[in-house]
Amino acid sequence: MKLRPFRLSVLILSLFIPAALAAVVLFLVAYSGQAIIFNGLHFITGITWNLGDLYDNPVMVRGIQVPAGAEYGILAFVVGTLASSAIAILIAVPLSAGTAIFLSEAVPELERASRSVLPWLPPIRPVLAMLVELVAVVPSVVFGLWGIAVLVPFIGHYISPTGNGYGLLAASIVLALMITPIIASTLYDALCQVPKENRESAFALGATHFEVVTKAMIPMVRTTLMGGVVLALGRALGETMAVLMVSGGGINMLPTSLFSPISTIASFIVSQLDSAESDPTNMSVRALSEIALVLFLITLAVNAGAKLLSSGAFNVRKRQ
Amino acid sequence: MKLSKLLRTGIAALAITTGATAAHASTMRLSETGSSLLYPLFNLWVPAYTAKNPDVSITTASTGSGTGIAQSIKNLVQIGASDAYLSDAMVKFHPAMLSIPLAISSQAINYNLPGISHLNLSGPILAGIYMGKITKWNDPAIAAANPGVALPDHVIIPIHRVDGSGDTFIFSQYLAFSDKAWGNTLHYGTSISWPAVAGGIGANGNPGMVTALQNNPYGVAYIGISFAKQVAAAHLGQAALLNKAGNYVLPTPETISDASSSVANTTPPDERISIVFTPGTNAYPIVNYEYAIVNSKMTNKKEAAAVRDFLTWAVNDGNAMSFMTQVHFLPLPDSVKALTLKQIDSIK
Repeated sequence: MKLRPFRLSVLILSLFIPAALAAVVLFLVAYSGQAIIFNGLHFITGITWNLGDLYDNPVMVRGIQVPAGAEYGILAFVVGTLASSAIAILIAVPLSAGTAIFLSEAVPELERASRSVLPWLPPIRPVLAMLVELVAVVPSVVFGLWGIAVLVPFIGHYISPTGNGYGLLAASIVLALMITPIIASTLYDALCQVPKENRESAFALGATHFEVVTKAMIPMVRTTLMGGVVLALGRALGETMAVLMVSGGGINMLPTSLFSPISTIASFIVSQLDSAESDPTNMSVRALSEIALVLFLITLAVNAGAKLLSSGAFNVRKRQ
Repeated sequence: MKLSKLLRTGIAALAITTGATAAHASTMRLSETGSSLLYPLFNLWVPAYTAKNPDVSITTASTGSGTGIAQSIKNLVQIGASDAYLSDAMVKFHPAMLSIPLAISSQAINYNLPGISHLNLSGPILAGIYMGKITKWNDPAIAAANPGVALPDHVIIPIHRVDGSGDTFIFSQYLAFSDKAWGNTLHYGTSISWPAVAGGIGANGNPGMVTALQNNPYGVAYIGISFAKQVAAAHLGQAALLNKAGNYVLPTPETISDASSSVANTTPPDERISIVFTPGTNAYPIVNYEYAIVNSKMTNKKEAAAVRDFLTWAVNDGNAMSFMTQVHFLPLPDSVKALTLKQIDSIK
């Protein structure tokens, strides 16, 4: 194959993203090296996080200079991240499936019915679809503010047994609202792409509208749905600000109920970075970059898992 | 013809703009970043100062004390703002860095107890609450400090800052200096490894603390004094705190200046000293200097001169009550101001 200028430039451009990714990973590994040695496996299994006494003189532990009393265990944050994202997905998938099916199936009929009475009505489906997509671009801090002003008092007054609204549930609901439009708009686009013939032949076989959607259409868009969920998970796992505002900032404890305060990995990094920067030994920042590495690995694992699921590797029926 | 005329006008316009930019480039640019408590004061100072010194422009940013310290050490900004002074270890690693007090701030302990308008609290009580040893409002320790007050039989919700904060620094200093159990285990710092307390929650920033306390009846929180207005508007209570002399005092300009004058004569030349839990009969126990963290050995001598001039203005004209009352700060006592000016003069 001859490398023409066009091919070469495209090749270089296409290598840019993997190269940037590799650079970030290499930096994280190199920068957190000392922390990885100091923490060992305790980093993942420990629940206690303590930056140590940053105002006392640093001590030497196993040949590494660290603040006195420093201990870095992130199990609680890993659990907080996975739990809040999982609950958010559980809430968001039915919600967004409903939204997408409503947009693609129910709205056209509504439109037909209303236009037969008022023929001058503009099409409402594109407007509704656009509104859904608009929610996807609302900055996360707006969701956080809404969470603090509306959701947290609501949970505190009506749902939580302790009267405290901050915690796992509030974080999960805010995340769910943020990711619903992502899943909904991908799914809606996919449903619109389902060939007319499939729908119509299902109808011709005497299927009800519900059966057409669940048996003829949803199976065709399963891969896209999975793709949307993966995208959404990516956003939920890495969401920082909105979670920081409503999660209650749990530290040194595992969540025991929906109302326990939690911290997610991303929000915890943000909340600790400022104090870590005044650590004369720099170990605190290294430990934070080790957490970032863990978050990266979790995101990678979740995405790989979802790809595997959606590729049909575990789907026996599809292989036949 | 028309096109060439347009082109000529365009080039002329370009030349004018470039000239203007060149003229602008001769102005001195300084950057300040750090403490969110000092940020409102800097935003009052900078317009007032640059109005008199149009050849200087100063950008300010509210990023957090730790960032202020880190960026001034790396020479990314000329002035780092911090609620906390540099630690001994920091000074040992970076001997050229100065901690220069610019004003005096303090912190209130606020509570959300329906129907209770006056509450006495002490360091050991607060340490007990935040460690999970005192869990109910009618605990004997709190009752003993509040004779005659009908305390509710309700679980206490201690609220702390999740983000690194100078407020956490001075609050934990109060607990560490007045309660041995806290001092020996949790120490003090801008972030604390908060013990797991059932019902306890974390909030983001001082505005988040006000909202969280408002949302949680039976809660208690530490909030910077510059948020006194928002706290009062939310109908939250302000606790009187036990000081070293054994008196319960509220944060007022008198009790705060009592605290600052009690260390005025013991402040060392490098001015790294805590004003938390100081002697003084009526001294409010949670008071602090707000610091500018500055490198005394700057590479750019013109920048050094500009920083000297601005900071000197800040502790003289900038310490006027017209600025201070807007953010509930107090000016430096005269003897401290003398030390501060000496430190400012050493910026070279």
